[in-house]
Amino acid sequence: MKKAMLLWLCGALAFCACRKDPVPEPPSKDADLSGQKVDVSGFPESVRKVFVLNEGGMGSNNATLDFLRVPEGQYVTGAFRKMNPSVGAGLGDVGNDIAVHGDEVWMVINNSGLVEVVSAKDETEIAAIQVPTPRFLAFDESYAYVTSWAGAYATGSYDENGYYSVTDSKNPKGQVYRIDLSTKKVDGSVEVGYQPEGIAVYDGKLYVANSGGISSQLPPDYAYDNTVSIIDTKRFKVTATIPVQVNLKNVYSDGKGNIYVTTLGDYWSVHSGLYRINASLEVSKVADYVSVSTLLGDTVYCIGTDSEFDWSASHVYKGWSVQGGNKKDWTLNVTATTLYSLYALDADTFFVGDAGDYFNPGTVSCYGKDGLRWSVDAGVCPGHFAVY
Amino acid sequence: MPVSARGISPCIDLRGRAVIALAAVLSAPWCLQAQEADTLAAASVYSVQVFPVVRPSEEVYLPGVTAPPAQVADVLRRFIGVQVKDYGGVGGLKTVNVRSLGSEHVGVFLDGVQVDTAQNMQVDLGRFSVDGVGLISLYNGQKTRRLQTAKEYASGASVHLESERPLLVDKDGGRVRLRGGSFGTFNPSLQWDRELGPVLLRVSAEGLTSSGKYKFPFFDTTLVRENGDIRSLRLESALFGRLRRGEWRLRGYGYGSERGFPGPVIRRASGFPFSAERQADRNLFLQGGWQEDWTSRYATSVRFKYADDYIHYDTHPEKNPMALPYDLHYHQRSGYLSLAQSFVLADPWSVDLSTDVQRNALDSDAGQSVTPRRTVFTGALASRLAWERIRLAAHLVYQGAWDGFLTPEAGGWSRENTFRDAWMPSFSLYYAPFRWLEMDGFLKRSYRLPSFNDLYYSQMGNSALVPESAVQAGIDLRFRHASGPWSWEGRLSPYRNRVSDKIVAIPTSSQFRWTMLNIGRVDVTGVDIRAEGRFHRQDWRLEAVLRYSFQQALDHSDPDGGTYGNQIPYIPLHSGGCDLRAGWRDWSFSWDTVVTGERWSRTANTADYRIAPWTVTDASLSRTIRWPASGSRAKMPELEAGVVVRNVFDRPYQVVQGYPMPGRSLMLSVTYSW
Repeated sequence: MKKAMLLWLCGALAFCACRKDPVPEPPSKDADLSGQKVDVSGFPESVRKVFVLNEGGMGSNNATLDFLRVPEGQYVTGAFRKMNPSVGAGLGDVGNDIAVHGDEVWMVINNSGLVEVVSAKDETEIAAIQVPTPRFLAFDESYAYVTSWAGAYATGSYDENGYYSVTDSKNPKGQVYRIDLSTKKVDGSVEVGYQPEGIAVYDGKLYVANSGGISSQLPPDYAYDNTVSIIDTKRFKVTATIPVQVNLKNVYSDGKGNIYVTTLGDYWSVHSGLYRINASLEVSKVADYVSVSTLLGDTVYCIGTDSEFDWSASHVYKGWSVQGGNKKDWTLNVTATTLYSLYALDADTFFVGDAGDYFNPGTVSCYGKDGLRWSVDAGVCPGHFAVY
Repeated sequence: MPVSARGISPCIDLRGRAVIALAAVLSAPWCLQAQEADTLAAASVYSVQVFPVVRPSEEVYLPGVTAPPAQVADVLRRFIGVQVKDYGGVGGLKTVNVRSLGSEHVGVFLDGVQVDTAQNMQVDLGRFSVDGVGLISLYNGQKTRRLQTAKEYASGASVHLESERPLLVDKDGGRVRLRGGSFGTFNPSLQWDRELGPVLLRVSAEGLTSSGKYKFPFFDTTLVRENGDIRSLRLESALFGRLRRGEWRLRGYGYGSERGFPGPVIRRASGFPFSAERQADRNLFLQGGWQEDWTSRYATSVRFKYADDYIHYDTHPEKNPMALPYDLHYHQRSGYLSLAQSFVLADPWSVDLSTDVQRNALDSDAGQSVTPRRTVFTGALASRLAWERIRLAAHLVYQGAWDGFLTPEAGGWSRENTFRDAWMPSFSLYYAPFRWLEMDGFLKRSYRLPSFNDLYYSQMGNSALVPESAVQAGIDLRFRHASGPWSWEGRLSPYRNRVSDKIVAIPTSSQFRWTMLNIGRVDVTGVDIRAEGRFHRQDWRLEAVLRYSFQQALDHSDPDGGTYGNQIPYIPLHSGGCDLRAGWRDWSFSWDTVVTGERWSRTANTADYRIAPWTVTDASLSRTIRWPASGSRAKMPELEAGVVVRNVFDRPYQVVQGYPMPGRSLMLSVTYSW
């Protein structure tokens, strides 16, 4: 306790010292990067940068990192390549998740098999950690946890007529890889369900959404997974696997014991939606229709459409939110060609990623209470946001 | 079809006189622009049967080419207005676009029968051996000949491969060719012909193995392309029969291959390979045709094909932890029957009626058990008027397709049926005001059915996809002049195309699976210019061809969209090339350069998506030695030895973004024929 107190004092002193005798911070190496000017009035003062990870097209090697430098309101595109010319191949193929941890930005580059760690200050590379088909990540104090689809396959044989039948459906499950935050090295893995996607940490436990997105296309069952794997971080073992709904995607912890899980549905009979797992692991459905969602504090914001199975329809999107398991009204008048991602800076400031035709660069838009504030050109499929 | 049933090549000059050009074809490989006429067995010939309404845009008579390329794709990529999308390597996928029409609009026909797969509607030209192929011709607009199959009228543009009828001097004859060189390539082939009374038998076999390894620059390092190896075997036999007033052909074909797909070059963690994907194919078909001139006015042609194709595609996740775990099998069967009839109502007016029916069935464990079945009826009515200097043709094609497929439903699967149909009219005309000037033009609407992949395989397909239709208009002006040993030919071909709901296929992480995109509307304005000069005197033969193509293919989908008015992906604004050929006695030399201007891999024409222009040059040198015929034989045995150097200047380039092409490579070939 004394030690802690001392540390606190030191910190406070250092803070005071800074205040009294300000040593100007050396200009960040990325200070020269400039981009489109946008209006950032009313943004929370604590926000220095908003990072945007553009997924790119699979096989096109065009994942890119953009950021909004909040004090000046400059939206900078392609920052990774600009700040890391020595990484000739750029950020890589399919950026799938991004998170800020301390002064580091962690990005999951799915089809490159990399978890890329860069400085949040200047986007220079700190580490590129090899993980097979990584998907999403979450942190606790000592580790980053990365879901991975690695190693799933099914086998079969042919009869004398050349027809194929499955003799051995191994279709093994995905993994959660654990990366030591100090050494930036993989430090073990644990098997979860089929094609795990989203992951969240709460109170010494990891909650992993298993999708079965690939096994739904494979013989013999063509079936989605429908479970959430719960992992004890101390033992790094799965302690419970609870069924929720098919094809699970994102996981959010509200920090108060509720875990929220989204499903993409099965595209023809089960609709997308949001489910809640409470502290006693009881599963309940919150609502249907989740196209995009995001977490802010203890609230999950969702936008969905009830015409989601009709590909040719022009969709009417409706927003709603959930707090403490209770669904609430929330509206955001979004206009997007292809609504692709949502992020809440605060309860009044939202970012929306529009993927357009999924093929050409999309846009990032900022919405306030009064509607659209601005739009900027981003990269291909602007899908993931993080704040520094 | 310059090689007629008699094995001679009648060239039709402007006056319409048949010129026997057998010697020219056999001894002068320079006469590649073989003139055309329809094969006619009938003694009395109406002018409408002799004059083709339009001529092909490009044409090569392969047996006349010394040191011929190994693949049909190598011939096509030099053709004007054609873009071969080449994913690199010996076993790499090669598809063809013509005048910004996607490869699904370009029909590839073998002896009048379309080579197609309902699965993806794309033909991999890398699989077509040149062995046994006589004439390769490209029609930008509408091919309009007597006794065409209905499907030949229905493609936006078409590439026609005519099998070469054996030219036997003795009772039998044959050819052995050994080819090999870079990438550990070894490609032996054997062909043997035999006269069996009135029937000619041709048996041929060809093998290919290649490691597919080559170096390519990857930013500041050099990597080696891995997993691009291929093994294949082709066995084929054909019978060619002559009738008093007709002919028939029967061909049995078997092909098997096993190959790796090297995958796109992307940033990849050093411990993981780019790809471990493998594909095994087995293609079997039986194809035949029978043409009969019943009277001098009425003729029929029957063609059929039965094909059985099998594909096994495996991503091998146990070898590549980055692979999505797919182990898929596709078994496709198709049956095709065509009847074409031609009536000469009153010379020079003739009417053709062609009717085709095709049935496709696909069984696969991909996706879910959709098991699509498709029956397509195609009917074409063509009316032609052909005088010597003025020729007109009008065509009306109807295509109807019935699809049956299983669809998921609460509690099980139900069989659903859909029907799609389209009318496709077209007009062609020809006018030769002077001996040195020919003009032809066409106007055409065509339509292509969505493929099974587009429609039913959701992992790669897009159920919202709408069919693609194309309206094309084009003019050809051909100039020619000859004096002494010199001859000149020029062609100027402006055109406009409008493609509505254009479907662009973009490779995903594997060549096997595609992302499909309806770009909406594309307007293409272009011009093809071709100039050719020839010199032939005594021991010397010289030929030069210059090509230039301008293609402005603009995205006109959404006036409010960010990419409105931009050039669509992969289409160069400027492209062209030159072929130079020289021969002296038994030596031959060739030099081919292909130039492609800057392109973009996205409709967003920004620096990030720019693909650098490239120029690639191939050269070849060969010598043919003949010996006196021995004993009772009349044919002089012949040995041809040649070397082909591809990408002479070792330039790195990419046709498709992420798929680097090989640097300089060398191929040696020795051919002995008797």
